[in-house]
Amino acid sequence: MKAALAGASLFAALFLIPAAYAQAPSKAGFEVKDMSDMSDFDPANTVVPTGDTIKIAVVASFSGPAALVGQVYWASISWVAHDVNKRGGILVDGKKKLIELIKADHQSKPDVTKKIVERMVLQEKVHILWGTDGSNLQKIINETANKYKVIAINTASLSDDLQDATNFSRYAFQSSMSADQLGRAHAYYYGQIRKKEKKFYILCQDYSFGHVLAEGFKKGMKEYYPDAQIVGEDYHKLFLTDFAPYLEKIKASGAEVVFTGDWIPDAANLLKQARQMGISLPFAHVFLDEPNFLHEVGVEGTKGLVQISQYGVEGAAFKTPEQIKYYKTWNDQWRNKWKTPPFNSRLFEHGAGNIGSYIQQTYWLLDVMARARSTDPEKIIQIWEGDSYRFINGKVLTMRPCDHKAVQDLHILEFVPPDQQKQSFNIPPYYWFQGTSAAGPVHTIPAKVVLPWMDPKLDRCKGKNPAG
Amino acid sequence: MTGLLRPAAWLLLACALAALPLALGPYYTNVFVSFAIFAVFTASLNVLLSFTGLFSFGHAIFFGAGGYGTALALKHIPGLPLLPALLTGVLAAVVLALILCPVVARLSGTAFAMLHLAFAQVMYVIALKLRAVTGGEDGIGNFPIPPLTIPGVASLPMKDSPQNFYYFAIVVLGLSLWFMWHLTKTPFGQAQLAIRENAKRTAYLGYHVPQTKALAYVIAAAFAGVAGSIYGLFHNLVSADGALGAVVSFAPIINIMIGGIGSFFGAILGTAVFQLIEELVGRFTDKVELVMGLTFVAVILYAPGGVLGVVRALRQKWFAAPAENAAERRSA
Amino acid sequence: MDPVTAMYVAQGIHGLAYGMILFLIASGLNVIFGMMGVLNLAHAAFFMLSGYLGYQAVSLTGNFWAALLLAPIATALCGVLMERFLLGKVHAFGHLGELILTVGVAQIILAAVKGIWGTENLSLRMPPILEGQIALAGLNYPIYRLFIIGLALVVMAVMALLLYKTRLGKIVRAAVADAGMVNALGINVPLVFTLVFGVGIWMAGVAGVTIAPILTVFPGLADQVGNDAFLVVVTAGFGSLGGAFVVSIIFGLLSSYGIQFVSQFAPILVVAFTGLVLALRPHGLFGTREG
Repeated sequence: MKAALAGASLFAALFLIPAAYAQAPSKAGFEVKDMSDMSDFDPANTVVPTGDTIKIAVVASFSGPAALVGQVYWASISWVAHDVNKRGGILVDGKKKLIELIKADHQSKPDVTKKIVERMVLQEKVHILWGTDGSNLQKIINETANKYKVIAINTASLSDDLQDATNFSRYAFQSSMSADQLGRAHAYYYGQIRKKEKKFYILCQDYSFGHVLAEGFKKGMKEYYPDAQIVGEDYHKLFLTDFAPYLEKIKASGAEVVFTGDWIPDAANLLKQARQMGISLPFAHVFLDEPNFLHEVGVEGTKGLVQISQYGVEGAAFKTPEQIKYYKTWNDQWRNKWKTPPFNSRLFEHGAGNIGSYIQQTYWLLDVMARARSTDPEKIIQIWEGDSYRFINGKVLTMRPCDHKAVQDLHILEFVPPDQQKQSFNIPPYYWFQGTSAAGPVHTIPAKVVLPWMDPKLDRCKGKNPAG
Repeated sequence: MTGLLRPAAWLLLACALAALPLALGPYYTNVFVSFAIFAVFTASLNVLLSFTGLFSFGHAIFFGAGGYGTALALKHIPGLPLLPALLTGVLAAVVLALILCPVVARLSGTAFAMLHLAFAQVMYVIALKLRAVTGGEDGIGNFPIPPLTIPGVASLPMKDSPQNFYYFAIVVLGLSLWFMWHLTKTPFGQAQLAIRENAKRTAYLGYHVPQTKALAYVIAAAFAGVAGSIYGLFHNLVSADGALGAVVSFAPIINIMIGGIGSFFGAILGTAVFQLIEELVGRFTDKVELVMGLTFVAVILYAPGGVLGVVRALRQKWFAAPAENAAERRSA
Repeated sequence: MDPVTAMYVAQGIHGLAYGMILFLIASGLNVIFGMMGVLNLAHAAFFMLSGYLGYQAVSLTGNFWAALLLAPIATALCGVLMERFLLGKVHAFGHLGELILTVGVAQIILAAVKGIWGTENLSLRMPPILEGQIALAGLNYPIYRLFIIGLALVVMAVMALLLYKTRLGKIVRAAVADAGMVNALGINVPLVFTLVFGVGIWMAGVAGVTIAPILTVFPGLADQVGNDAFLVVVTAGFGSLGGAFVVSIIFGLLSSYGIQFVSQFAPILVVAFTGLVLALRPHGLFGTREG
């Protein structure tokens, strides 16, 4: 009896209390009332301060075929810098300092990444490395950050091995979602929330992200949807021209849902070619959300897509006046002021989705720095580990101290035709997009069922609670 | 150069190289290492060109073989010391060259060049596909980099010390360059040049042309492997894009072009100039591909002899002019 | 047809369709290298340029057929400009000069395309008449892919006709065989070569517009398709259009059946085939021209 009580209290101490603590509402969060007047912000013409500033290197592809990615990141982080600078900057090291953003073009190449990041650290003396698309490149950033003791924030690379035993660095923080949890989240949705389709076909890109995502999905299926069947599994090469042979196999397999992690251009080509071949199956996806190609496919073809998002909110997207104000601040700017491509395209219309996430993740970083009152990496690490931050849309992220990964709820967005998008877009004009299906019903996938993968080999994490 | 001047110049160079990391700091030291790697890679292609008259458009295959060879060795053989790891990379490149030798031995210029372009593409796809071995897109990264151990004397850690790595790399790459340069002075080298000038005649003189061609090919491959191996150690990452991409094959070609074809020194000079251009372009514009494209076009159209060609042309201008004037004055 | 057979047949047609896609891109490259001995590494960039020009044409006219007619011609004109003003000057440096020049031009085209149309992903709508599927003995097959196969066959037939049944074709073949002699006969050989070059780029242009509706038009398009097309040309051997046709089909079938049966290793099949052919016959399966 005593042993059982002791066991129960130990259980409570080890699991329930920290878990509850991890989900407790945090005092740190985004406050709309503090936002500056953004009416003079144009991502095509950003004003970058100089002098004694807080220097942040934005490491991304700014040239070459993937230049759009760099532009998306730049718009997101410039928005935050513009806001914070107008407020007078952040009080660090005894002075109020402005944020200075520096473009670090890695041209999607590993050796250029190393060079440019070293230059940022050694010559430009940046305080933060903000990056990037491509986990193999993020690894190089993290390594350099570790070598020279500079904070690196990863807002966009999703590979779980970035924070594993081999690659972990105290100076690197992954505030973005990660591949394994995305796969499990989808499985949880299909098995525990939706409970409809039973046959799934996995078609992912043949590199680490695609494989980890698929493994996460399969793991999740075993745990949350054992009745379901994986009727096929394929990994296609990146930048594939012709999806037809894979689509043929999918057709023949009797699959009801296709699970994929493809991003542009594979995402667009996959969906387009599937619809052109008469395959109307829904896709369980991560990145089939680029509005331009969705419009190309049309409302019918995009109906029934299911996306896992790191910037969702259950039910109505705008529940408070502050949220409406925040949304409109961006949207009005986009509509009225931004005339330079690509910023005037649909991709930037709503400032939600991944753009919204990059923005809020950056606000988190700056908030941590403000609370640390310092640019000293050690102080930042101290504050950030275990820290929680509430996004404008109500999401709370917690930085798991042992491996610097973000614990957060995820959200499933079901794509529905414009007349049903009111469930999510609950203010006029009551749709996200008129020309394509988009988010309607949104379901929360609670953090505790999609905890980011924790490497059992990482010493720091041995015996630690994965819930943070 | 007279007797004393030459060794003095070498000594000066050696001192400058030794002092470099202290003077330039870690960033530029690393830039220099990067330059040295590609200088050796370019010089190896130049060896092939000047000894056989053959140009490979896919020299990256040996660079990649060197890189992957070393990375795989370090990843899978625990406790493997640094020099054997380096040699494994070189061996991989040499073996690849030996395998390809019979295929390419009797090919003419065009076919030789294009075939290598094709092989580079093939190898690139294989490196991408064999994820279990090569790590696919992500490549092989974070493999252990052992310290340089001279048994009984010293152990220099390499991993977190740009300075130590610099010394190691410079010695290896410097020796490689010296060896390649010296090759032209040896009887073997002379024979090669003779073959390039007139293969038939050289054959009549009793030299085995195909075998000597093959030897030059293997040597070129070996040094490309050295460069690739050091590259892998330098970045602690070997990936398909970084070591086998089309860009990797084109780099030595454009370097040779910029420096001036047919000259050993031109290969090194061209590498330096091109690296400089690359360093600077990124700092001032997003339109990297526009500037690079225009550079390539401009070089081939207006300075096809490369920097050395320009220097030669200028020299002619300056030294010919006074003589002309004198002649004119005399005739006037 | 029972479903399993239908699937295998469908994969076969997919292979043909993909092969024809490769052929459309590779054929122009083969013509240029095979007939003129010019190494044109900007070929994929012209393919991409044509996709963008096609997009522009459709934006302006709303008509896919207008785009299919005009964009390749416009692209060919750009190609001719390059040949006339740039390529001629580097002939002295042989393939090395062509390599560097065309790589440079490819980069410039990439910059131009980004500068004019931006970095975003664009789409080319296929004409409504070609949308949807058609029933072939119990198998539903997308009409557009059949159109691609048909168009490639037409292009091939037209090329063959031009080359072997017209006087112009005779002149071209003669000029390829012995330019000096043909020149001595009073024929403007440089003009002939410019024409051939233009036709080669035109073929890439046709490929660009034709393939755009099933792909995304974006700045990485050239990189996406260029490598495979190049391998086709090298494996087939320079100078053989028919050879390019055959090898394209082999690549396509290896690819689709590879994905069907050994999915993980499908890309290796193609490169293994290439490697094998090159190891045994370095001049390509049907190679005729020697640098």
